[in-house]
Amino acid sequence: MAIKAFWTIAYRDLIRNRRRSLLTLVAVGLGMVVVLFMSGLLSGMISNSLADSIHLRTGHLQLRAESYEIEKMSLLSKDLISDSDQLAAKATALSEVQSATPVLWTNGILSTVRESLGLQVTGIDPTAAFYAPIRDGMVAGSYLNPDSRNEILLGQRLANEMKISVGDRVSLTIGNADGEPQEAIFTVAGLFATGMPGYDQSTIFIPLSRLQAITGVGNRASSVIIMLHNRDDVAKVVNALQTPGIKSLTWEDLNSALLEVAKTGASFYYLIYIIVILVVAVLIANTLLMSVFERTREIGILTALGMKGRQIMLMFLLEASALAWAGIAVGVMFGYAVVAYIAKVGIPIGDDTAALAGQTFALRSKMYTEFDPGQAVILSLLMFGIVAFVSLYPAWFAARLEPVEALHTLN
Amino acid sequence: MDVIQLENVTKIYKIGEVETRALNGITMSVAEGEFMALVGPSGSGKTTALQMMGCLDKPNHGIVKLDGQDVTQLNANQRADLRREVIGFIFQFFALVPVLDAYENVELPLLLNGVPPKERKERVMEMLEAVDLLDRIHHRPDQMSGGQQQRVAIARALAPNPRVVLADEPTANLDTANGNQILEIMQRLNETTGTAFVFATHDPRVMSYVQRVEKMQDGKLVVNGDVPVK
Repeated sequence: MAIKAFWTIAYRDLIRNRRRSLLTLVAVGLGMVVVLFMSGLLSGMISNSLADSIHLRTGHLQLRAESYEIEKMSLLSKDLISDSDQLAAKATALSEVQSATPVLWTNGILSTVRESLGLQVTGIDPTAAFYAPIRDGMVAGSYLNPDSRNEILLGQRLANEMKISVGDRVSLTIGNADGEPQEAIFTVAGLFATGMPGYDQSTIFIPLSRLQAITGVGNRASSVIIMLHNRDDVAKVVNALQTPGIKSLTWEDLNSALLEVAKTGASFYYLIYIIVILVVAVLIANTLLMSVFERTREIGILTALGMKGRQIMLMFLLEASALAWAGIAVGVMFGYAVVAYIAKVGIPIGDDTAALAGQTFALRSKMYTEFDPGQAVILSLLMFGIVAFVSLYPAWFAARLEPVEALHTLN
Repeated sequence: MDVIQLENVTKIYKIGEVETRALNGITMSVAEGEFMALVGPSGSGKTTALQMMGCLDKPNHGIVKLDGQDVTQLNANQRADLRREVIGFIFQFFALVPVLDAYENVELPLLLNGVPPKERKERVMEMLEAVDLLDRIHHRPDQMSGGQQQRVAIARALAPNPRVVLADEPTANLDTANGNQILEIMQRLNETTGTAFVFATHDPRVMSYVQRVEKMQDGKLVVNGDVPVK
């Protein structure tokens, strides 16, 4: 019952000092906007990078020979999957699987009359659904013809750097399974742009059958890339596709570097959130302390009436809580609006910056935020918790005022 | 029976290196239902005496008893409990909670005492009627005159049915008419409720209303014009 009175005194005091309360509310709100924006930026970056990586590079699941190591890109028989077509067909038969396609990777040197560049060559089945983003991202020429033997697709950024156009003939030198260099001439069928400069400047595609022929690996493949309808089904599909001599790598295994960066980034960001929130909290505590000094007489009255120290403390903490929650609510509203806006328009970071980061991570030329409700709740609670903690001092100060000292201002 | 007893009470305030004896071994009591005043010049110790009686502070020496209970051994929370149940306060500057209206100000001590809602409402309305303020129950202090605010203060002080009301210069900020009105209300309530009233004042009007006057000077009680020798 008395708590109702404390709450009444607390919120009415906030209304009585409108300007001060509003300024403090704005400070809390701004603090929330800042942390929500930062959180949204990190969430968006990680989420988009992960999604792009899955859809362009790794898929949800890959099946590889036990001994295959991606860094070495071996073409030895023992390191490749011998029955990749059958494995892909077995995967596609599962209801959880959207598509499955074999792929062959090797290192090669792309050469024109002007220059040469070492990069990864990917042999793909052009009809595979997994490469729909490439098909949809064609900016010049045409996509690979499934029956073609001499067509090559380049990323637009790579083509620009090497001054290659559609229709140009380029030389590709690839080491075969015996380690002997094999040179083949290809015609540039088309250029693609995925929006990820790093990917576009380091990726070339030729038909799988052609690469298998050049390297002399027969019908073997480095990996079978599998896309699922729902990535949460990955464990189930791994179980269903268990095959002796074949290892399964989930999207988490294949994006471990990105996920590790996300985890480290999140920890680092939390440190920044705490600093931002502490600054806001100290502002609230200062406001509360000013309120205590201004209301010394009132505290004396309440003490004279028989209010105990802890009740006075509670009253001031209620005041701090009201300010905090009002500010948090306003901050979450505006924070959501800011994040939603940038999620739509993005923040340009430039192709060159994106290309630098994109050698390892899929990063677009624009960064988009993503609103994470769970994070918003955590940050709101963190803001409230820190504000409540910092407000303990002024509340305790009020509770400890000697009644006679407080009442002295009355006479 | 005495509601309040001060036995050889001394209170010393230290400001920096300077010690001031606000009370110097005073002994006095307040009987049940008494209507009395402590008078004296500024610095005589009457406010300090009231603070001792009201358990707002503890003496350096001596004993203060409230309803026969030695309150000098109680901790802050115990003294707060006692104040809530046994003592009412009226101050010179009305001392209402500025953000609460008249009803809520009078209700506050009852809320602190855990009085149930129905009983609380009845008591608040009874007290506001006793001070003739039923037409101002939803007015805040800044919407009331000095006299009206002091009447709310009286109602608040008496709402929890205290044994004694301690009034520190209650008429100091009121004009003659309002001052007299306040004194008449308090006298009437003293007679109807049996609550003792102790005033600390130098207002001669108060002295004409009270049954007993105790004079103070330099922290001691004055007897027949002389400061008693201890």
